[in-house]
Amino acid sequence: MAMKVVALAGNPNVGKTTIFNALTGMKQHVGNWPGVTVEKKEGVFEYNGERFLVVDLPGTYSLTAHSIDELVARNFLLNGNPDVVVNVVDATSILRNLYLTLEIFEMGLKNVVIALNKIDLAEKKGIKIDAKKMSKVLGVPVVPLDAKDGIGMKDLKDVIVAVAHGEVEETPIIPTYEPAVEREIEHISKCLEGTKLVSKYPVRWLALKLLQRDEEVMKLVERHLGQEGLDRVMTHINEVEERYGKAMDLVIAGQKYEFIDGLTHEFMSYGRAGGEPFTDQLDRLLVHPVYGFIVMAIVFYFVFKFIFVFGLPIQNWLAEAFTDFGNWLAPHIANEALRGLLVDGIIGGVGMVLSFFPLVFLLFLALSFLEDLGYMARIAVLMEGILRKFGLPGKAVIPLILGLGCNVPAVMATRTIEDEKDRLVTMFVNPFVPCSARLSVISFLAGLFFPKESALVAASIYALAFTVAILSAWLVSHFVKGESGLFVIELPEYLVPSGKALLLHSWERSKEFVRKAGTVILVGALLIWYLSNYPVPIGTGGSYAEKLGHLFGPYMGLMGLDWKAAVSLLFGIIAKENVISTYGVLYGTAAAIRSAMTPLQAYVLMAVTTLYIPCIATIGAIRAESNWKWAALATAYMITVASIVGILIWHVGLLLGWGA
Amino acid sequence: MNMIVPLSELRPGESGVVINFQGGPNFRSKLYPMGLAPGVIIRVLDRFQFGPVIIEAGGTRLAVGKNMADKILVRKL
Ligand SMILES: Nc1nc2c(ncn2[C@@H]2O[C@H](COP(=O)(O)OP(=O)(O)O)[C@@H](O)[C@H]2O)c(=O)[nH]1
Ligand SMILES: [Mg+2]
Repeated sequence: MAMKVVALAGNPNVGKTTIFNALTGMKQHVGNWPGVTVEKKEGVFEYNGERFLVVDLPGTYSLTAHSIDELVARNFLLNGNPDVVVNVVDATSILRNLYLTLEIFEMGLKNVVIALNKIDLAEKKGIKIDAKKMSKVLGVPVVPLDAKDGIGMKDLKDVIVAVAHGEVEETPIIPTYEPAVEREIEHISKCLEGTKLVSKYPVRWLALKLLQRDEEVMKLVERHLGQEGLDRVMTHINEVEERYGKAMDLVIAGQKYEFIDGLTHEFMSYGRAGGEPFTDQLDRLLVHPVYGFIVMAIVFYFVFKFIFVFGLPIQNWLAEAFTDFGNWLAPHIANEALRGLLVDGIIGGVGMVLSFFPLVFLLFLALSFLEDLGYMARIAVLMEGILRKFGLPGKAVIPLILGLGCNVPAVMATRTIEDEKDRLVTMFVNPFVPCSARLSVISFLAGLFFPKESALVAASIYALAFTVAILSAWLVSHFVKGESGLFVIELPEYLVPSGKALLLHSWERSKEFVRKAGTVILVGALLIWYLSNYPVPIGTGGSYAEKLGHLFGPYMGLMGLDWKAAVSLLFGIIAKENVISTYGVLYGTAAAIRSAMTPLQAYVLMAVTTLYIPCIATIGAIRAESNWKWAALATAYMITVASIVGILIWHVGLLLGWGA
Repeated sequence: MNMIVPLSELRPGESGVVINFQGGPNFRSKLYPMGLAPGVIIRVLDRFQFGPVIIEAGGTRLAVGKNMADKILVRKL
């Protein structure tokens, strides 16, 4: 018998992932939904020996078809045949959350469980909810939860299993609209009668979606009834709206909230009003146009301190450990080719990259902390005014910050930006944001060449990269068509993040980095080792790598770099960590790298490595989120900018006498 | 008394009922699920010179961009 499938659906930030983790524990797998780059989380839980597959759907406010996230969630609910749909509802904002719940009910699902989460917070706010009554009113089981503390999880499992086994008779409540709307629902339903569509989808849902001009449903109808059939329905809707003097979607949305309001009176009441909520008080400071920025600067300062102060010593220790291991191993291998492959290729290359794991982990930890704290949304609000001036939406700050970890998820995070133009521009400039792989290059070179002021030097590279990104956004936004500037974002309650969730989340993300290091980088390191040892070892001038490097050497000379830099940068295209691992292989030791370059050259190398091209994976992500043309354009643009910046730094540096 | 004004004109502490939107169906359907629909009562928590308006609607806190707030019509309460 196939495993029963449990889908988790709900608004963003309601605690879906917390519930998912509590249900599945460590037995989870992160992948992608087929054909799109939306993250798909799957896990398994066991109950009396039976296994259940849990799927965490993307968090959405509704099930229209405006974003890929919504489309993924909606298609899974409609066509994925989940055995149980757990609709996670935030008890502190029932009104807004039930909008989605009603949409799910209107889809005709009769296997819904409502996980009424964050009841601890609701209680604190004086919101009283009678879950039993709520269940009776809504016609589906309601399980109160405090998922963060694991309270109610046992009940949730019991109910999920009962619903999965068909032991629960559900009568989800469906809103009735005013007669004019109901009449149209009936009329459209008649038009659709007898078509195949009606056997696949609930006809009331189809009719409602048509009244709201849902583009996906319009396409469906066109496919089944032809252009003419669709036109007939839409013309009819236009006429009705004309007569009525109001858009149907406006009426439907308004009445939905009215309906929800009526329902909640039956099971919910507000207790003492209390003073001004803590979150509002804090927001007075944190999104304040002056103090807010000061706080933000301080926050980012501590994030960087945190990463460098803890990360760098561990990184150095790991790097040394790998070198020592290689040195210890070398005499034990008789075969010269094998020794080179193992010590120089594998241990030298990958070892160097792996030593950056602590940095990456700490970075993700800091980012997840800010995210779960609720501070990320405040940053978006703070930045909207400024970023908009440069052609970026306030929400772009999230991909811009995520880019500090890795540009691949950052490019994917641009999908939270609804406006196409905003999204394209944000995506275009994102690769300029130095990812953790480039952090590894920057911190290595900064530590090696500027031991006393490494943090300052590293910070200057970050400042350079962000300046380039912002100016590029301003430039590019003038060339992309489309309107932009629709900004609306939820400001969640400030919450102390759960340490366990933070660690789990950061661990998963860091593993992703290592997985990349283990596959793409290994191939890269081995390729370099091959190219630099065949047909003859490097140093004789006859290796493939040298030939390749010499081809680009003269161009690199314009910015004070040599053919070895060309080779390293070339391999950096596979993944930015390769720049350092290639130097490692080409020079053998860090000391050799140190004596081969001046600090100015190292600085140019840092700047160019940061700006010159998105890595292969990032190019792939841009393509996936837009198209090849856009990815190619972004790549060509970066190469141009990096060349200009590299040449400028080198020559200005020489003029200022920093050449030695 | 029952003035209809853009949301962006409400001052912190003032409330209003959402009446209509000056935007197409795409614009509107983005706002509905976030709690901004006709008949919903909103309260302005904070407002900045060039930045977004911060409101409370349906028990949640939302930041609405200036451009958007200009297009949301409310009846002052
Ligand atoms: N107080 C409280 N906080 C919770 C509860 N469930 C989740 N949270 C917090 O709510 C935030 C969002 O949770 P998350 O699972 O990431 O939400 P998602 O976006 O729906 O996946 C996190 O800071 C959680 O720690 C709960 O039952 N009570
Ligand atoms: Mg989540």
